[in-house]
Amino acid sequence: MAVLEEPIKEPLVLKNYIDGEWVESKGELQDIVNPATGKIIAKVPYSTREEVDEAVEVAKEAFPEWRRTTPLARVRCLFRLKELLEENFEEVSRVQTMEHGKTIDESRGETRRGIENVEVAAGIPTLMMGYNLEDIATGIDEYLIRQPLGVFSCVAPFNFPFMIPLWFAPYALGTGNCIIVKPSSRCPITQTKLGELVDEAGFPPGVWNIVHGSGSMISSALIEHPDIEGISFVGSTRVAKEIYRQCGENGKRVIAQGGAKNFMVIMPDGDLRNTIPAFMTSFFGNTGQRCLSGANAVVVGEDDAFYKRFKEAFVDAASRIRIGYGLDEAVQMGPMLSEKAKERVLGYIEKGIEEGAKLILDGRKVKITGDYPETCFLAASIFEDVTVDMTIAKDEIFGPVGNIMRAKDLDEAIRIIHTSPYGNAASIFTSSGRFAREFQYRVNCGDIGINVGIAAPMAFFPFSGMKDSFFGILHGQGQEAIRFFTESKVVIQRWW
Amino acid sequence: MQLTTASEIIRFAKELEDRAAKFYDGLATRYPEAKEIFSSFVKENRKNKILVQRAYNEVVTDAIETGFSFEGFEADPYMIDVDLAQGADLSRAVKKALEIEGKTQAFYATAAEMSRALLADIPRTFERIAKKRAERNVKLTPLL
Repeated sequence: MAVLEEPIKEPLVLKNYIDGEWVESKGELQDIVNPATGKIIAKVPYSTREEVDEAVEVAKEAFPEWRRTTPLARVRCLFRLKELLEENFEEVSRVQTMEHGKTIDESRGETRRGIENVEVAAGIPTLMMGYNLEDIATGIDEYLIRQPLGVFSCVAPFNFPFMIPLWFAPYALGTGNCIIVKPSSRCPITQTKLGELVDEAGFPPGVWNIVHGSGSMISSALIEHPDIEGISFVGSTRVAKEIYRQCGENGKRVIAQGGAKNFMVIMPDGDLRNTIPAFMTSFFGNTGQRCLSGANAVVVGEDDAFYKRFKEAFVDAASRIRIGYGLDEAVQMGPMLSEKAKERVLGYIEKGIEEGAKLILDGRKVKITGDYPETCFLAASIFEDVTVDMTIAKDEIFGPVGNIMRAKDLDEAIRIIHTSPYGNAASIFTSSGRFAREFQYRVNCGDIGINVGIAAPMAFFPFSGMKDSFFGILHGQGQEAIRFFTESKVVIQRWW
Repeated sequence: MQLTTASEIIRFAKELEDRAAKFYDGLATRYPEAKEIFSSFVKENRKNKILVQRAYNEVVTDAIETGFSFEGFEADPYMIDVDLAQGADLSRAVKKALEIEGKTQAFYATAAEMSRALLADIPRTFERIAKKRAERNVKLTPLL
């Protein structure tokens, strides 16, 4: 199967998008490398604090008029953006593969998820409605209205560089706020491409701004800025917690999503034929660089024959994953984001061996489809005899490594899940409604999968998370995003 | 040739439609007596290609097993040969067409079965096209 045409022919020099203009940054430029080919595909600026301030200033100026624009007119911009995204679906997807390394199927899936958020936010004239009650006292009515607050910001991660800003931006804009998006500094190109489409969709200048650069510097500058109302962040737990703390100190609204360590529980009545493909996507999709990835498989029961069947099927399928450049449509797993990210995973594999886990599939030796440097590539690895006290069972590895554990029954499996400080997602694979209900009822994770390996909420549901995987109250996407980006105002009215 | 990912299956389906369109376009020129039927097939092939692409683009998400759903799908039995010998009469051309349709229907039926794990739109689209391609037999057979 041929490799699809690359949409980026020459290295791009990225610019900030401020006040409806593409502006060259004064900051120094850093290379963006295609992790599959090793070629430089762009240079991204590390913007200065003054440039962040300028973006906030223009957004603040744009806010009053944008707020006065009718919700219907605001969402017409979103409708136009949706159409442009459909027209550019393939190009946007291929750019994601080039900058991140994920397969083209995964990139297209990400593009679709992003578009779905634009579609849901286009319903804001209805979603943003308040409610009312007549005659709360004689001749007195009471009603609630939702109002935008001003300028918000979104700090995006590298693993879903296109989709994650769209968990927030369309809702912020549709409800009448302005936004500053800080794309991932490692995967900034798709947000730039999105910015071009935003520009074409006709959003007024200053309403949607993009400032590239260092996550820590820009996040701090935004959080400390008095004209920023709130921030959304997706990244590591350490940073999410810190952002949450800083937002508390500075009186900002915040959605801070952190890391994860997700458990996949397989009951003895689970359907292995269907479970294994789900496990492949869950553990090794996006090369394991996903906060919903399966990390620890917990096989329930004392039936050794079932355990053996599961283990062999899991290892067999994982060992056959085709690895290569994601623009080759036959490829099932792309490279890690960078050599550094790969080294980190290799360190965990060493650690797992040191701590006594048995490496039953060694992904350190990788067979690549096509002629590409090995620099960022890893194959799938699987450990068995993993216990909850091991580092590989506790830490978020963020790479293609799966651990197999055993539990004697569902109670023990749930206890194992609850040893983790994280609470992003967990799945159960079973044919029993009773087990499934028990699992969803008791497991303290925000996103529960029942015979689903990646429990990714659709755009009209919140992207949930608990414990150390989420800091905040309201989540991104859907109704919760509407509430995050609006203030509820209650009016009590009487006329004489 | 083994196909594994949803992308590969969609590409293969589109190639089948393209090749069939080219084949029927040629028949429409060579056999004016059946031009109307062959031209309608060309139009339908183009529409099918759009349907397949749309079904995929509109349901593909990171949460479903697009990379692994078609594990073990062997494409060789569904490859179609669209070369028709110079001077072949209409009956021979129709036999060739029936052979193409048979293989293509079988491809869509198998792909539909294997894509049950994806969202409903993809198997539904495959089934719909398989049905439309089967209906061609009724139009082709009287031309033998």
